[in-house]
Amino acid sequence: MCVLCGQDFVARVHWTDRHVEDRARAAEPGFDPVAFQGDRRRDRAHRVVLTNEVLRHYGLRVDDWSGSKYVLRDRKGRSEIIQDLGSLWPAAAKLADRTLDPLDPVLWERLGGEPAFAAADSG
Amino acid sequence: MEGKTRRPVTVVTGFLGSGKTTLLARVLSAPSMANTAVLVNEFGEVGLDHHLLRRVDERTVLLGSGCVCCTTREDLVGALMELLDMDQRGEIPRLDRVVIETTGLADPAPILHTIYADPVLQHHFSVDLVLTTVDAVNGALHLDLNPESVKQVAAADKVVVTKTDIAEPGIVPGLMSRLGKINPSAWTFEAAFGEVDVHELFRPDGAGTHAAPAAFTAGSGDPHDVGDTHSVSVTFDGAIDWTAFGIWFSMLLNARGEDVLRVKGLLDVGEAGPVVINGVQHIIHPPEHLGEWPDEDRQSRIIFITRYIHPEELLDSLLAFRGLLGARPVPLHAAEQRVPFL
Repeated sequence: MCVLCGQDFVARVHWTDRHVEDRARAAEPGFDPVAFQGDRRRDRAHRVVLTNEVLRHYGLRVDDWSGSKYVLRDRKGRSEIIQDLGSLWPAAAKLADRTLDPLDPVLWERLGGEPAFAAADSG
Repeated sequence: MEGKTRRPVTVVTGFLGSGKTTLLARVLSAPSMANTAVLVNEFGEVGLDHHLLRRVDERTVLLGSGCVCCTTREDLVGALMELLDMDQRGEIPRLDRVVIETTGLADPAPILHTIYADPVLQHHFSVDLVLTTVDAVNGALHLDLNPESVKQVAAADKVVVTKTDIAEPGIVPGLMSRLGKINPSAWTFEAAFGEVDVHELFRPDGAGTHAAPAAFTAGSGDPHDVGDTHSVSVTFDGAIDWTAFGIWFSMLLNARGEDVLRVKGLLDVGEAGPVVINGVQHIIHPPEHLGEWPDEDRQSRIIFITRYIHPEELLDSLLAFRGLLGARPVPLHAAEQRVPFL
């Protein structure tokens, strides 16, 4: 628990971060910790790229902050420090002043999707 | 030491008078359940005679975010810690399993949250099964009138239909079919007088160990609408990017978590084995990356049970995210539905 922000980030691992942790835990005793760090860094970098694909439609972007946190910013220079995807979306909603909803047809359009299922009744 | 040593926790939910205690009394008398601890909210009319019985008062701590399923049940933390202490000091015989019986109206999500979010408990306990009892006589009425009842069925890995002996003839098949439509991924059992196959009932399923293939009944892959509750099974036309799925799904849960009653499935993420995903509302079981597929079918298959969200919306959203996911969603229909699922 951090006494400043009250966030319990040591004990809680968000489910999307779980696999890298699990892989490290499941590793043999002789496992090279450097390889784990590389694994983790690649995973974080990949997540930043993909998340920004979504966030840019809301005028936001996220950057890795020294491999331990992420920094979420808007175009006015406001920023929030976040721990994981679990805390990203509420913080993004605060900066964007609306909930970021993946079921929003406007977002689908921006991501280049054309609704295909709503038109054709699949039931 | 991780994973293997976590004690399985079974959550038993069900509406008031739906036969939870009768079922438990029957189940606990089986020799294989001797080292099972039971946590109950109230001592009901049906006495449970069991040496590891504890009563817990439902004390709920609502966290800052204010969402009901992300609340911590302090009573459970205390009771589970006490059991863990006793087990580790050797004061009780080896603790094989903990059964938590909820009150009729309880939502199982806070129980899962309590165990997965607690810094100590998460390393020692794992919810392997949510059992929901539905009373054959009044079940349909409860489902009509009480949204909690639908939530409990959606959260279940296994549904036990009780009191089938006193139900009017013809009621049980209709109820079973309705339960199957609300939650096609759950096993459904019939139990008259609490008589069930204990071994079968407690065989873990999906939540952490996925040992048993649950059968999808024919046609259950089609999107189902039961009132405001919908379910749809989806596959993808290729392996998907796990990170991208995490982004899409965490975003969905943040925006519409209360309406995502249940998600369960196996995802092909391009590795040797699939990822097991299992969630009840906002609470996601720690996803497990398996070393190999449990059967011949190597396609992703994931079921979503939602309230107010139409299956087409989910499919269109996944389609819009296809660039990130790396594959397109395909709804599973009856004809393509393979029988084994988890």
